[in-house]
Amino acid sequence: MKKAFDITLRLLLVAIAISVAATSVYSQEMNKEEWQKQITDLTTKRNDLKNKLTAAQSEVAALQKQDADKATALKLCQDELAQTMKANSAADESAFASSVDNPDAKLNDLSKLSNQDLYARRAELDSVQAWIDNAKKSPFSAVEKYANRLKDVQGRLDALRKSLEQSIASGQAMQTYTVGTWAKDRDCLWNIAKKPKIYDNAFLWPKIWQGNRDQIKNADVIHPGQKLKIPPKAELTKQEKSALRSYWDKKQVAAAPTK
Amino acid sequence: MKKSIGLMVVGAAFVAMSATGCKSAPSAEELKQLDDLKAEVSSIEKEINARQTEKAALQRAIAEKDSRLQQCLKDKEAVQQHIKGMM
Repeated sequence: MKKAFDITLRLLLVAIAISVAATSVYSQEMNKEEWQKQITDLTTKRNDLKNKLTAAQSEVAALQKQDADKATALKLCQDELAQTMKANSAADESAFASSVDNPDAKLNDLSKLSNQDLYARRAELDSVQAWIDNAKKSPFSAVEKYANRLKDVQGRLDALRKSLEQSIASGQAMQTYTVGTWAKDRDCLWNIAKKPKIYDNAFLWPKIWQGNRDQIKNADVIHPGQKLKIPPKAELTKQEKSALRSYWDKKQVAAAPTK
Repeated sequence: MKKSIGLMVVGAAFVAMSATGCKSAPSAEELKQLDDLKAEVSSIEKEINARQTEKAALQRAIAEKDSRLQQCLKDKEAVQQHIKGMM
């Protein structure tokens, strides 16, 4: 009897152990309540998201319309601007745009020169200024991007001019002239000053003389190959006039008959 | 004494088994319904994200066009003034 009870008891203990273990395993999986809760939560979330999606789709549609309207307005404006340009300008926009590159390149080139070389090519600064003045007559010059470029070109040109003026004032920049032969070029200070590219005024020859005292001892004697500095064209200074007077005095003394 | 222990054991076994029996699991169909719902939520989330991206791109495009339009209007006005001035 006792043995039978023990066996029954042990079987029951084993059964309980199995049952508890089974409960434990089962509890890790979902039960119906949890399923129901998840279904409810997800359904709520889905409905919220659907509302959000609908709102986002409406916003996108509104933005697409706004984008299309802006594109139409932009096209209209651009067409009107192009028509205005066409009616008032001989050149088209691309021609004008590429023409701005020329003075730009010219200024780049000139800005790399020494003061001396810049002085020699100063006429090119005038040609850039003439281009700017002409470009300003075109309606394209009023378009901001071109107006800014022209402003930039003008600014760079002014800076170069200022730098050139400063170097002229300080005597750093002067045109030079290489003396040729008398036989071929008829070069003397008088004739050199008379050349259109020099002073176009023979009476300014003392400027060249006084500007080159280091290599011209006698104003009547210059040699082929001499590289003369040409001071900027201006009226003769007091010193140059004085040198001229003493030149003529010496000439007169030399010409006077010897006793 | 032994009898009472036996009764306690039997009682415990009953409680354990009845606790297990109370919790029913969802059916395969219900689990599929849950999975479908999850997939639907995920799909909607993706679509919302795509719309948000599209919205941001459109806003950038509109701002860019607006800026160009303002510039165009400004240029048009400046050109007209220039032409008037040249006449």
